[in-house]
Amino acid sequence: MPVTGEAIVGLLPEIIATVFLFVVLLGGVFAGERNSGLVGALATLGALATFASAAVLLAVGFEGTFFGDSYAVDNFSLFFKLIVSGTAFFTVIAATRWAGTTGDAPEYMTLILSVVVGAMLLASMRDLFGLFLALEIATIPSYAMVAFDRSRRESAEGGMKYLVTGVIASSVLLYGLVLIYGVTGSANLTQVAEAFSGELTPVGLVGIGLMLSGFAFKLSAAPFHFWTPDAYQGAPTSAAAFLSVAPKAATFAVLLRILVEGLPGATTTWASILAVIAIITMFVGNLSALRQRNVRRMLAFSSVAHSGYILVAFAAIQGGGQQTGIQAVLIYSAAYAVMNLGAFFAIDLVGEDAKSFNGLFKTQPALALCMGVFMAALVGIPPFSGFFGKAWVILAGAQSGSILVYAAVGALVINSVISLPYYFGIVRNMFLEEPVSGGVARKDDGGVRFSVYALAILTTVFILFFGLLVTLTGASGLL
Amino acid sequence: MPGPIQPIIDTINQQIPLEGFLIVAAVMFAIGAWGAVIRRNAVVVFMCVEIMINAVNLTLVAFADFLPSAAGLGASYAALIIAIAAAEVAVGLAIVLAIFRSRRTVNIDEVNSMRG
Repeated sequence: MPVTGEAIVGLLPEIIATVFLFVVLLGGVFAGERNSGLVGALATLGALATFASAAVLLAVGFEGTFFGDSYAVDNFSLFFKLIVSGTAFFTVIAATRWAGTTGDAPEYMTLILSVVVGAMLLASMRDLFGLFLALEIATIPSYAMVAFDRSRRESAEGGMKYLVTGVIASSVLLYGLVLIYGVTGSANLTQVAEAFSGELTPVGLVGIGLMLSGFAFKLSAAPFHFWTPDAYQGAPTSAAAFLSVAPKAATFAVLLRILVEGLPGATTTWASILAVIAIITMFVGNLSALRQRNVRRMLAFSSVAHSGYILVAFAAIQGGGQQTGIQAVLIYSAAYAVMNLGAFFAIDLVGEDAKSFNGLFKTQPALALCMGVFMAALVGIPPFSGFFGKAWVILAGAQSGSILVYAAVGALVINSVISLPYYFGIVRNMFLEEPVSGGVARKDDGGVRFSVYALAILTTVFILFFGLLVTLTGASGLL
Repeated sequence: MPGPIQPIIDTINQQIPLEGFLIVAAVMFAIGAWGAVIRRNAVVVFMCVEIMINAVNLTLVAFADFLPSAAGLGASYAALIIAIAAAEVAVGLAIVLAIFRSRRTVNIDEVNSMRG
């Protein structure tokens, strides 16, 4: 099958990101190690150009499948490409100063951009082995990102724990994909859908189960979430922020595509499995987060809980909730991206101990207000972004007409209440406690500060984009 | 394969059903997974992961050989997977080396400074 001009236009965001990946790596070699500002600027430009190209493709309504029906460019995938490249934009800005201090800025930026390439490929893949390749392109650099900080011992430790669980998860996922391939005889999702339209064979059922377990690892869903707190605590803050959002959103995208396009015949099976996983994940994430004194660890468990909330939307993709369920995944991913990224970056400016937030409102009111916005959004309080995600998940659950999903939605509401104390514990520390005397004055970082303020504004004005978001996700191209 | 060996291999091949390959692969995968969970040395854990990935590859090649609709594509997918596994282990060993430099051990259960 020849590569057409149309395919190149469809692949433009990936091509731009790949070109900038090499430009940043080579630019770093020629600029010398003192010139991290230039490298940061190049990487920022790359993320921005990628975002712009994906936005243009989305605006002109570009659609098509390429390379023998194995690569789909549609509204759905472009939406996730926007999330991934937008996240990368803020991460690169926030990481520039820090990466300069390690002396390896070009390598770090290259790793970020290669995760971007992998995550964007992932959102478009319609081929079982292609998606495994894309998943690994996104995952392998992320192991290195977690272990990147050589000045902290925890970094390599977090990286190793992430890596060991990650490679085991990859092989389990791959086994599932191979069994599905064996039942189907083809790696293409269209043929998979045909083979799985009838009664499920035992081999097919095992394949689906192994594949979902592998994805549960990647999405840090219980009972496979145990690597998350260690990896996020050990990782450099920018890496933890980025990895908790971009690859995760893309993994949700590809899981949604496999389930909706590849396995519609087995909907009741996977929807019930995912409903149970979602309920366990929400409770485990929130109850573990309650015990944490380290804010980074707390946010790691909170990201586990949020994976659970998104999985409720997956479980709701049945009966009358199909369209709304898919919409809910898209809206929640966007809402989660802005609020979680901001919350992680705020730690970089304040400190990872919960006590370091004490009296922040008196010393740095603007930063305290931003953190307050992120916390309120993560709880799901109305004007902020998280509310719309949760509202749409509940709406989809109500339309699904399944008892198990109703239970999951009930668990979501209960969990939102459970999560109040730990999010508002930080808000209380910031506004009511006295500043800790003799606390170390942290070096101010303009890039991180810019990212935090911009993301706080985005989280607040999410409501203005909401109408656009609903129209966009309503015609996602999936289904 | 030259000479008299090829007919023997062909005869053996004709007598082993698809299930034979799948069961061997499943047992291999289980052994690898068991080892990856219980072993403490990170390098041995990577070896166990390799066993798991090779089991998957065996499954894949067996499917590709036996299923008419697979059209032999499975072999090229297997080559792809071997390359990915190599990349994973390359990054893995680099991280293990970084751990060993700072702690003088590669045992996973001794590397536990983070709790909670």
